[in-house]
Amino acid sequence: MDQFTNRPKILTATVPAKVKGTRPPNEIDFWRGYALVVIFLNHIPGIWFENYTHKNFGFSDSAELFVLLAGWSLRSMVDRQSRDLTSLGLFFRLGSRAIVLYVAQLVITVIAIAIIASTAFISDTNLVLQWNNAAAIFEDPVTAHIGLVLLSHHLGYFDILPLYIVLMAMTPFMAVLHRALPWALLPVSFAIWAATLGTAVNLPTWPVEGRWFFNPFAWQFILVIGFLLGGDSVITRIAVTWRAIARLLGGLIVALGLLATYLQFYPDPFNVPQPPLFFVADKTFLTPLRLIHVLGLVAFFGGSFAFFYKKARPLARFLSMLGRNSLNVFCVGSLLSLSAQSARFALGSTLWVDVFVVLIGLLLMSATAWVSEWRARLK
Amino acid sequence: MARTIKVKMLALLAVFIAAPLSAFAQAPQDGAAAAAPPSVSVTNETPGVPLTPQQLSAQCAVPTSEIAAPAPLPATIVRLEGNQPLRILAIGSSSTWGVGATSRRKNYPSQLEAMLERVLKTVPIEVVNRGVSGETAEATADRLRIEAALLRPDLVLWQVGTNDAVQRVSVESFERTVSETVAQLRKKNIDVVLVGLQYTPKYARDEHYFAIRDALKRVAAEHNALYVRRYQAMEHISKTKSNLQMMADDDFHLNDLGYQCMAEHIAHAMTANLFVRRRKPAS
Repeated sequence: MDQFTNRPKILTATVPAKVKGTRPPNEIDFWRGYALVVIFLNHIPGIWFENYTHKNFGFSDSAELFVLLAGWSLRSMVDRQSRDLTSLGLFFRLGSRAIVLYVAQLVITVIAIAIIASTAFISDTNLVLQWNNAAAIFEDPVTAHIGLVLLSHHLGYFDILPLYIVLMAMTPFMAVLHRALPWALLPVSFAIWAATLGTAVNLPTWPVEGRWFFNPFAWQFILVIGFLLGGDSVITRIAVTWRAIARLLGGLIVALGLLATYLQFYPDPFNVPQPPLFFVADKTFLTPLRLIHVLGLVAFFGGSFAFFYKKARPLARFLSMLGRNSLNVFCVGSLLSLSAQSARFALGSTLWVDVFVVLIGLLLMSATAWVSEWRARLK
Repeated sequence: MARTIKVKMLALLAVFIAAPLSAFAQAPQDGAAAAAPPSVSVTNETPGVPLTPQQLSAQCAVPTSEIAAPAPLPATIVRLEGNQPLRILAIGSSSTWGVGATSRRKNYPSQLEAMLERVLKTVPIEVVNRGVSGETAEATADRLRIEAALLRPDLVLWQVGTNDAVQRVSVESFERTVSETVAQLRKKNIDVVLVGLQYTPKYARDEHYFAIRDALKRVAAEHNALYVRRYQAMEHISKTKSNLQMMADDDFHLNDLGYQCMAEHIAHAMTANLFVRRRKPAS
């Protein structure tokens, strides 16, 4: 049984805490930590290690895993708090989380702009100012700064937090709906996702004409799935009852993902039935191929934390520590990825440079997690 | 006090969340393939479109042979002859977004839209801009495939190559990416105009820059796609009209006049081809 929710657990194996005042290492934090490391690597385009992250072996990548696990841990929080909170209290408690994320997005964006500007300044290369969709900031600052505050302008690779902010702003409604009509959450979320894929609606970006890289109307579905899996729900009960079959099915999906990657099979958007978004592997719209793949990964690898804890304890503790402090580590990790892009630009893109930037990155991400917990203990 | 701040922050957040949503509500649903065509008033006197090629202004004048080689635009012809709205997807990197222009209305897709509306008088033209700065061909190709499947444009303008050349993408990889994508678009009966590399004295002796430029030319020839020789056209202007300032302060991107010339050259290349086709249907 899960120690927080007192309900059947399917992915929440925990062990005693070693560091006083922190959550004991557990499966959710462990995989969140894993997703954070992979996001850090994936956001350094061209780095050698990027070729070996799990996006190369199937349709989904760590962004799906990260958002699913965010929903999962959100459920633990809601279940713990909701006993003492009114619906209105719950509504505002969850809504305030969106504000924290919004402030974090603004802070890391400003630092990212400074990193890009410093790289251009030191290397005396104005072309760097175009990196990662940053041209508007330097070329059209009047509109771009309004866009940054309105979240309608995102730097490349700094577009996950805007999604997360919108999703967190939706969570009060989600939690209240779930409290009132638990059975309605999944169909409502599915209907919004399906309608989004059918009509291809998305939020616009401005001043750069385009659309959000992570479409919140589509991505809310995976947050809701994580939220439902994180506690008692119909899908949790099915997953627990048919655990062996779920794992087998997950294994099959993972194997098919591997095969598709090996054969370089990707549906051609021009040659699929209408509406095309139901049949292609598109990240913006979290299309079925990507969704099914990440659910397959969870079904297959879920529960393997116990194995890692037994056979590779330092790794299990390390990733759990990162996952426990996911917002801080994510923010620092995003800035480290951008700094790594600058370092590779300045030092060249050899394997030694790649090893160096990854080691420094992991060191600083773990330092961030350690300092966050140290500060929490001081309080 | 803390509570007041929290409430104020909540109100601010609500405004920030609501603003893009309301902008979205007003914006055309460019993702919807079946969306209604843009409502531009049309004086539909006779079927077909009176065509005269885009005239070049004195500042932007270059010999026609320096701009583009003739290539068919069959999908565009069909739309124009049916007097149906023309949807153009302009995709690429900073030169499509308009780095160096004083405003978004001065980037090349906006200027091109106005020019085409003047030349193709009775047909509503919609140019959708999907320029993302700093992007190489591979990243743009990923966006292009899905954007084209959703927007169903009649013609794609793909400005490509400069970032690949500067970022040292291998010629083989660049050529393969562009060629595969153009083949997919052509197969779906979407016209393709490849807009070539930026002219800049900085890279005038760079072998890789020229290798990428030649690769793009090969791809255009292989698929019989219209190729706008942006490098040659701008080089011609810079050498024959050295008193004109075409470049932005960074000495790499174009300024408003530079983008005007780029738009004029593309508009000329497109309309000259349509004009030739209409006069000589057998060709």
